[in-house]
Amino acid sequence: MISAQTEADVIDAVRDARAKSRTLEIMSRGTKRAYGRPMSCDDVLNVSALSGIVKYEPAELILTVLPGTPVAEITTLLDSKHQRLGFEPVDWGAMLGTATGKSTIGGVLSADVNGAAAIRYGRARDSLLGIRAVNGLAESYKAGGKVVKNVTGFDLPKLMCGAMGTLGVLTEVTLRVYPKPPQSVSLIVRDVSVEDGFALLRRVWQSPLEATALAYIPASVPITQLGYVGEGAALIRLEGAHEPLKEKIAALLAIARSAQPIEAANVFDSISRGTIFAGRNCDLWRVSVPSSEAAGIVRQMGSSVFAADWAGGSLWIGLDAGGNGAELRAHCERADGQATLVKADEETRQRVAPFPPEPAARRALTRSVKAAFDPQNVFNPGRMWKAV
Amino acid sequence: MADTAGLAAFDGDALTAYRQKALACVLPKTKEQVSAVLKFAGEEGIAIVPRGAGTSLSGGALPLADAILMGMGRMNRILEIDYENRCVVTEPGVTNLSITRAVEVRGFYYAPDPSSQIACTVGGNVAENSGGIHCLKYGLTTHNLLGVEMVLPGGDRVRLGGKAGDGGLDLLGIAAGSEGLLGIVVEATLRILPKPPVTRTLMAAFRSVPDAGQCVADIIGAGVIPAAMEFMDKNCIGAVEDYCSPGYPRDAEGILIIEVDGVAAEAAHAAERVTEIAKAAGASAVTEAFDENERIRLWAGRKAAFPAMGRLAPDMLCMDGTIPRHALPRVLIRMAEMSKKYGLGFCNVFHAGDGNLHPLIIFDVMKEGELARAEAFGAAILQLCVEVGGVLTGEHGVGVEKRDLMPVMFTDADLAQQQRLKCAFDSAGLFNPGKVFPTLSACVELGHMHVKGGRVPFPNLPRF
Ligand SMILES: Cc1cc2nc3c(=O)[nH]c(=O)nc-3n(C[C@H](O)[C@H](O)[C@H](O)COP(=O)(O)OP(=O)(O)OC[C@H]3O[C@@H](n4cnc5c(N)ncnc54)[C@H](O)[C@@H]3O)c2cc1C
Repeated sequence: MISAQTEADVIDAVRDARAKSRTLEIMSRGTKRAYGRPMSCDDVLNVSALSGIVKYEPAELILTVLPGTPVAEITTLLDSKHQRLGFEPVDWGAMLGTATGKSTIGGVLSADVNGAAAIRYGRARDSLLGIRAVNGLAESYKAGGKVVKNVTGFDLPKLMCGAMGTLGVLTEVTLRVYPKPPQSVSLIVRDVSVEDGFALLRRVWQSPLEATALAYIPASVPITQLGYVGEGAALIRLEGAHEPLKEKIAALLAIARSAQPIEAANVFDSISRGTIFAGRNCDLWRVSVPSSEAAGIVRQMGSSVFAADWAGGSLWIGLDAGGNGAELRAHCERADGQATLVKADEETRQRVAPFPPEPAARRALTRSVKAAFDPQNVFNPGRMWKAV
Repeated sequence: MADTAGLAAFDGDALTAYRQKALACVLPKTKEQVSAVLKFAGEEGIAIVPRGAGTSLSGGALPLADAILMGMGRMNRILEIDYENRCVVTEPGVTNLSITRAVEVRGFYYAPDPSSQIACTVGGNVAENSGGIHCLKYGLTTHNLLGVEMVLPGGDRVRLGGKAGDGGLDLLGIAAGSEGLLGIVVEATLRILPKPPVTRTLMAAFRSVPDAGQCVADIIGAGVIPAAMEFMDKNCIGAVEDYCSPGYPRDAEGILIIEVDGVAAEAAHAAERVTEIAKAAGASAVTEAFDENERIRLWAGRKAAFPAMGRLAPDMLCMDGTIPRHALPRVLIRMAEMSKKYGLGFCNVFHAGDGNLHPLIIFDVMKEGELARAEAFGAAILQLCVEVGGVLTGEHGVGVEKRDLMPVMFTDADLAQQQRLKCAFDSAGLFNPGKVFPTLSACVELGHMHVKGGRVPFPNLPRF
């Protein structure tokens, strides 16, 4: 394992790997190592020591950090100024069977894992304003900027989000932050079917209440804290200052008469972290579909292990371990969406493409883009698809 | 279209200092036609310049003498309105405002609202990643864009993103703001938002610019994100008052127009906070529009900044840098000094919430040397923006206008990486050549692998 302390170390490591035609697994704290296709790289480049706050300017809504900075540290810092990250970064450590509470901002961005509030504030890619990175030619470069509004040059920061470290090594990231509303209320609507529950969540989403979480949990995935849920429960989070929040709750009751406040703030977190499925012996798939198609997918798959975020737009579905997901993917395709295999054993992730297979023209483009950043395939080869 | 009169109709965009007729102009109606033209152009090695409505302020749609201009105005149908999933699927030639018009009956709107919204097209918005006065709260085009279908150089069609994303590399994020360098957008899926039930508009007048700057920082620092927060300086106030008398205080050094929205209590809460903070920051007066007419009048002044300044001189250059907001007072002082140095008048309108400056420089092309001085003044302003930690363009794009300034912000390595990405889409360099990048490197020089037959693209490309 090579441990980089600085950007210069990263450059050296990449130059060396390039010269010797060796491949590098880019790793920070390694909490998501079991996500994506298994790789066998010649070396591990550990970048977790590239950690620390570079600059935090609350009044500019800007935070610049080194990518190895733990999310927990960032959350604490932002909290001290009543701010937060809009996409609500998620820790998949526990679900994937590694450590919890260790995930770093670079890892979260690279894997594009977003929490409940992303339905209101956008995903990680929408908050990443600027980067420094090292490409596969061992050159460092910057892209984007350190201001909230910028269109100078291609928006490479977005491309780095969700690229799983296949395009380069991040060495600095600049994020937009948001004020944290003073109060937050979670509400539950009990005993609703999947169809009715998702439709209800959509009505809230179509209203101006700016809900920051719209989730659904079926009875088959019990959460003690919620008490009796009947067929299933729709969960809504509203935020704001005292008076506005009162008005929003009243407006919500006009949409969903039986909605009740509940102490369940951490339920949203446990859904996005996938920890509600702990102990189940199945593979976990993450499905993205237009919300109106989500109930159909759930019915078609007939699995009792599922939960929804983003009014159904983001679904977890548990399927028999070792399956190839072909049926799920076919349904998703018809519904204008796709499915990603998040949790499965190594053999399955080797055999079944974890990331959605691409149509031919798109695949060719993806490969060209990879080559534009990493022509020699130094970084995380095969992590997303065989060739990328 | 290849006749002189026809081509003359498409000889430039809203960066009016530059004019050039295209080799030919095509106006496709279908995706298939776009594909066919790009296949032909690819085989023949002919360059393509995409064009929407031609309102680009950076010369992005400026034709080239040896290139086909592809006007997208005839692909102007909205294909689907999907309220359930809060999105609209549209052809690229539809105007920005038409999207809102199509969905407002059901209480929705499309958030990015460039001032040119009655004319500019969705395709142009995607290519420029356009903003508007509401982007601090609601984002630029890229934050409201779910997917595109793009025809690549050579004619292949790809979908990037979609109603529920695509689960692959975020190439959609690259397409937004790509300034017509990567392909032709033939379809876009846009997010629509529920209209906030209440909108309130306030005006705060300041005796000093630093006070106004402090007020902006304090509002954001207090956790209020206004829907819009616009600054106008004294020059601008005077010009606008002469033009349409919106009722701005002529004696103020600067004013802020601040709009807050949300459910009633939310707008009320924000309006109250904004008023308190503005007074504490030294505002000499804070007034609120008491009805819709008054609200429209307050905004009319801001929206008339362009034509109002236009009356003071025949020509105008609109700059577009972004700065960290705390640098505002410093930047305004330096700009006033530059105005003296270059001997040209200017005024400042500023999307204060997100730090996006729009200095308007006035000049007269007919006067010897004024265009060159105006451009030098503009360039100096943008260099200053970068110097204080900002960027060259916040929403108008690089185009030809700021192309040669790119090295002020980016190193050779930064630009080489950008160009390598360009090569991944367009290995022959056929798309909108001469825009964005200060030097044209052949993809082969950049070590790119997809160069066909070693053809060097455009050795004779005209440079401006
Ligand atoms: C009075 C005025 C006010 C303005 N106000 C604002 C403002 O508030 N905010 C703001 O952001 N901008 C503003 N602009 C700038 C301009 O309107 C925007 O950049 C707009 O998005 C351009 O759209 P268009 O359809 O006119 O595109 P064009 O000017 O025709 O083209 C712009 C760029 O997009 C490319 N392009 C166009 N269509 C396509 C397509 N289908 N596929 C691929 N590439 C394509 C072109 O090659 C070119 O590079 C203003 C301009 C004017 C004249």
